[in-house]
Amino acid sequence: MASENDNAMSRSRSSMTFARRGTPPRRANARRRHREDQLWRVSARVASFLPFAGLIFVIVVLALKAWPAAQVNGPSFLTSSSWLPGNTYGAVVHTHGVAHPAGSAYGAWPLIAGTLETSGIALIIALPISIGTAFALTERLPRSIAQPISFFVEILAGIPSVIIGLWGVLQLGPFLAAHVYPLVANHVPNVPVLRYFRGPTGYGEGLLTSGLILGLMIVPIIASTTRDLFQQVPALPKEGAEALGFTDAEVARQVTIPWVRSGIIGATVLGLGRALGETIAVAMVSGSILGHVSSNIYGTMTTIAATIVSQLDSAATDGTGFAISTLAEAGLLLTVISVIVNLAARSIVRRSSAMSAPVGRS
Amino acid sequence: MDESRKTDISPDEIESVLEVLDPDSNRPRDIIQTDGLNLRFGETSILSGVNMNFPRGTITALIGPTGSGKSTFLRTLNRMNDKVRGFRHEGDVKLEGRSIWGADQDLLDIRRRVGMLFQRPNPFPMSIKDNVVAGVKAHGIAKGKQLDVVAETRLREVGLWDAVKDRLNDSPYRLSGGQQQLLCLARALAVGPEVLLLDEPTSALDPLSTESVETLMRTLTPALTLIVVTHNLGQARRVSDNTMFFYEGRLVEHGPTKSLFDQPREADTARYVNGLMG
Repeated sequence: MASENDNAMSRSRSSMTFARRGTPPRRANARRRHREDQLWRVSARVASFLPFAGLIFVIVVLALKAWPAAQVNGPSFLTSSSWLPGNTYGAVVHTHGVAHPAGSAYGAWPLIAGTLETSGIALIIALPISIGTAFALTERLPRSIAQPISFFVEILAGIPSVIIGLWGVLQLGPFLAAHVYPLVANHVPNVPVLRYFRGPTGYGEGLLTSGLILGLMIVPIIASTTRDLFQQVPALPKEGAEALGFTDAEVARQVTIPWVRSGIIGATVLGLGRALGETIAVAMVSGSILGHVSSNIYGTMTTIAATIVSQLDSAATDGTGFAISTLAEAGLLLTVISVIVNLAARSIVRRSSAMSAPVGRS
Repeated sequence: MDESRKTDISPDEIESVLEVLDPDSNRPRDIIQTDGLNLRFGETSILSGVNMNFPRGTITALIGPTGSGKSTFLRTLNRMNDKVRGFRHEGDVKLEGRSIWGADQDLLDIRRRVGMLFQRPNPFPMSIKDNVVAGVKAHGIAKGKQLDVVAETRLREVGLWDAVKDRLNDSPYRLSGGQQQLLCLARALAVGPEVLLLDEPTSALDPLSTESVETLMRTLTPALTLIVVTHNLGQARRVSDNTMFFYEGRLVEHGPTKSLFDQPREADTARYVNGLMG
């Protein structure tokens, strides 16, 4: 009420001003509103263009920086495992007109493998946990318990990755290496696939620990999105399934999850993007070993993101700038991998959404 | 249509027909019996003292104003209320003489035997064919190639086959509302229920779809026993053999549909069926 009165008063005051200037007040008001509208539309257009411009800018700069390294490293950058900076104080040689230290040779295969492996492990662990959590929160637990748990899940999402990395390297890794990994490694049969879980378990820094830490970090992302999705599934189809004699598990598998499948895939891609690009936590728990692919799941390794951050300082000592250029090439590679993952997820969503109901429909 | 077709048949005639049709004619005549049934949510009493028998192969309409307890009563019969917080029941519901809450009863089997059709169509997010056979698969009634036969039989039974035979693998959500409801009916029939509960099955449908559902309801008896909640008094008159009138948490009156509508014994019933009370 009060604000309406205020408006009425200000309107009458301005109309008096306009009346004195001889401008019809209503037309002036309409003009002001059109100006506002135009400003709004232009700013919305600019704002919508900014993320796109940002992405293009980043990719162009990365590509320009990476170009010299890409010329010298060639396609074997994707398959080779060596990571030799060469003699940074020695002679500078030129390949294809690009200056680089003698003896330098770079291959990113261990980094690519490490990135995909850790993210894969993270996803395998996080997806069932997240969906289970979302289910418990929306369907099984009473409100009084679900609400605090929801709160903690969201808090977990907000913990800085350096803290989780620190906990991983000081507590989780050593604990697993001392008590859990040997148990698994000594009892797994020596057959294909499972053989990967045998062998030396190390000291807790390595592939599996990195995957577990990443999994922990993406659970809140996937779980909280999935929880919100489940809440949007209408009661009627779920009741229909119950009335047909479905168990709770069958209702979940055949109705609730398919209803929001594309949303879950979207949430998973969000989590996967985080896992692929996560840097500092992985740099802390991976063992940061360059130049070789771990022979079992416990071995030390590194990822593209972790390598960029851990090698940046020493790369800056390369006077030719070739080491930096190589890191830019690795960065470009990570960007490409992320984009491919996103596109792949989109095509899955497009194919699976043919059967699913639009969210919110009953 | 011939409105008096149903009501002209006396219960005795129905019974004699049943004895011919039903190989298990020595089973109880009443497929469902409620015995001093009181229903409550927490402290709030929803319905009290319902003693009612549902003869096999008949259609019973449940009528009454909103909030009279008829939907709660219906949803009790296949135990859909069991997991609603605060739901309490006293008395008993017997399915073929055995309590539906008995320790020897399996909830999933109760729901297979007592199917349900809802207010609005609720197809599952899977193909049309998978919708029809979803329950069949879950209960392990048929598998593999048999499922195709089940799907075709049931879709023909509800008159949907010609409309969907070329798009069995498409989404059900592109069908019209009436077609979706028929699909849900086919799905419910596929698991071979003995009783079908219908909770205002046509309230979201257009008149033509309503008519086809009503026609189907009549063809489903006497093989099935139908119990239908409806706000549409005309529908109750058209399809049902017996009618129960609920008002303010009580079963006020029940009896053969024609006599309940034409010569109601209670004043409340008279006011409701004559449209003087909504």
